[in-house]
Amino acid sequence: MATYDPLFETLGLKEWCSEGKSSGPMSMADLLNKTSGKQTQETSIWELPFPSMDALNESCAAFPQSRELTKGLEQGFLAIKDSLSLVLDPLTQPLSWFLDGALYAMLNTPWWIVIPLLLAVVFVVTKSWKLVAFVGISIVLMAFIDHYDYAMQTLAIIMVCAFLCVLFGVPIGIAMARSDGLQRVITPVLDMLQTLPPFVYLIPLIFLFSVTESKLYGIAIILYAIVPVIRLTNLGIRLVDKDVIEAADAFGMTPRQKLYKVQIPLALPNIMAGVNQTIMMSLAMVVIASLVSAPGLGVLVLRGIRNLELGVGLVSGLGIVILAVILDRVTKASLARIDVSKEH
Amino acid sequence: MTRNVKISIKNLYKIFGPTPDVVLEYARQGMHKAEMLEQHNHVLGLRDINVDIHEGEITVIMGLSGSGKSTLIRHLNRLIDPTAGEVQVDGDDIMTYTEEQLRQLRRERMSMVFQKFALLPHKTVLENAGMAKDIRGYTTEDFEGEARKWLARVGLEGNEQQYPHQLSGGMQQRVGIARALVSDAQIMLMDEAFSALDPLIRSDMQDLLLELQEELKKTIVFITHDLDEALKLADHLVILKEGEVVQQGDPQDILLNPGDPYIVDFISDINRARVLRVRSMMTKPDPEETDYAGDISEKDNLEDVLRKSGGDMTLNFRVMRGDEQVGTLHMKDLARALVPTDASESRGKTAA
Repeated sequence: MATYDPLFETLGLKEWCSEGKSSGPMSMADLLNKTSGKQTQETSIWELPFPSMDALNESCAAFPQSRELTKGLEQGFLAIKDSLSLVLDPLTQPLSWFLDGALYAMLNTPWWIVIPLLLAVVFVVTKSWKLVAFVGISIVLMAFIDHYDYAMQTLAIIMVCAFLCVLFGVPIGIAMARSDGLQRVITPVLDMLQTLPPFVYLIPLIFLFSVTESKLYGIAIILYAIVPVIRLTNLGIRLVDKDVIEAADAFGMTPRQKLYKVQIPLALPNIMAGVNQTIMMSLAMVVIASLVSAPGLGVLVLRGIRNLELGVGLVSGLGIVILAVILDRVTKASLARIDVSKEH
Repeated sequence: MTRNVKISIKNLYKIFGPTPDVVLEYARQGMHKAEMLEQHNHVLGLRDINVDIHEGEITVIMGLSGSGKSTLIRHLNRLIDPTAGEVQVDGDDIMTYTEEQLRQLRRERMSMVFQKFALLPHKTVLENAGMAKDIRGYTTEDFEGEARKWLARVGLEGNEQQYPHQLSGGMQQRVGIARALVSDAQIMLMDEAFSALDPLIRSDMQDLLLELQEELKKTIVFITHDLDEALKLADHLVILKEGEVVQQGDPQDILLNPGDPYIVDFISDINRARVLRVRSMMTKPDPEETDYAGDISEKDNLEDVLRKSGGDMTLNFRVMRGDEQVGTLHMKDLARALVPTDASESRGKTAA
């Protein structure tokens, strides 16, 4: 006799309940009760259980238990999985190629080409010798302690993922800025992407794609890191001075001219701030993604945790910090250069 | 002098709110701003505006904040669409224009100067000046000569390669004016163009505008909340109050014959001697009068004449237009014109 028996009796559902008597496996509590030989007794009002799915199931076997919810979800996902990956697999295949290509190129080009090339890029985007020296020393230091390959793998993954984030994020942000309806739809999605614990992305992705494929972690990183660039592009364009927009209208600009001649240039500092954030978040995620076979410094961190190798974990962690500082300083310096027309 | 009507505003209504069409009927029946806000929760922006703007003249629309003047000027190039009414430019009703026609109008026939300058911060002064041409698809080389010419004309020679933020407010607005001039549009809309500038610079800019106008004869619509500025610039003055035209006409006429206590209140503070001009004070040339103390232009203001006369109220002046005598000014009339009328004082007090 369970608490909610009378409820089903008064509703006249007794018969429907007994139909489902077959019942699934016993719950732990039932099992304990059975072994101790105790019968469920009358419960006092103080112990009245919340009418949850499990509590109702006790009174009425036909009522589903809550574990059937999670099970149903899982089965539903598995059911659509095949057709979903049929669509998603070819769509995302280029991501695998990009990542594999970047990793291959990074690791198979000799260090005496890669390092000067990186320094040259740093100089071109920042025009600052100080930063070039800092980046040079950092990379040489990492190479010296034999972390060069790991660092370059991480860097290659970040470059590919951040590039794709910008490629997709900026147009999405622009579309969002131009349509309030779209903004209302996308904002909750972005909120969700931003608040979901990063591990949660990985679960469905593992089901959808093979763990041996690099696009698995690529998608996880992109989903996690694309949020700031979308948000800040949208914000940047919406924040463009209303007076300037009005002037553009008054002089007869077409919407396209307005976008390219006014809105994007004026929103550029904000967009670049978004790119900076996106790169930093890719770095954060690339470490977590080592759980699903992403190569790089994250693998060492993972090894440090798994085998309790304190030194390995600390050194690779330090390597990640150095990479983060490099990426942050370089993108900020290039942002400052773009912003030059607003300097006072 | 034939005066072609360039822009004609007819029965224009603008109501802000969720259902402007519904309350439009009440506005047509004569409901005013306060009533409408209270009873229907709609803001009456403009009510039954009828203004003709003549070619080659400066039409000043004056009113305090909230009077609808900025709303009105934005109807002329349809940055704001009216609830009802017509705006005709060169005889065409621009309400019937397609988007493409409207863009053409904004690109080639109208230019605009803004209160907050609204320059592109990431472009140089030169590129900003040529913005209108750039929009039409010309390259910097195409418009550079013209842009430089107009920048020099507004006094910005040598600043071409600077960015707007490097210039002072007054200089930025000069760029704004140059931008409007480079566009070659016949009509110039100026929305409180000088209101953000400090008084001395503002006065300079007014002089610059008058000087340019003397030469270019554009059709200028100028918005201001400053009566002194309005009287200095206006060929035709329109006074707005709470979305309605209170009085419009020759500024001298309005000054001498204010038609509304609101206007009386407005003009009670101004320096009449500086604003009133000889042509509105003079009498017909008297052939018997020969004792002239000197010649003055019909455009002189009374302050100039006072200075010339040294304060002697018995003198007469010969009023000239070019080489031709068009009238006689008696200093006695001048003194009388400067007396603020009783009516204006008492009404001014009740209004205040």
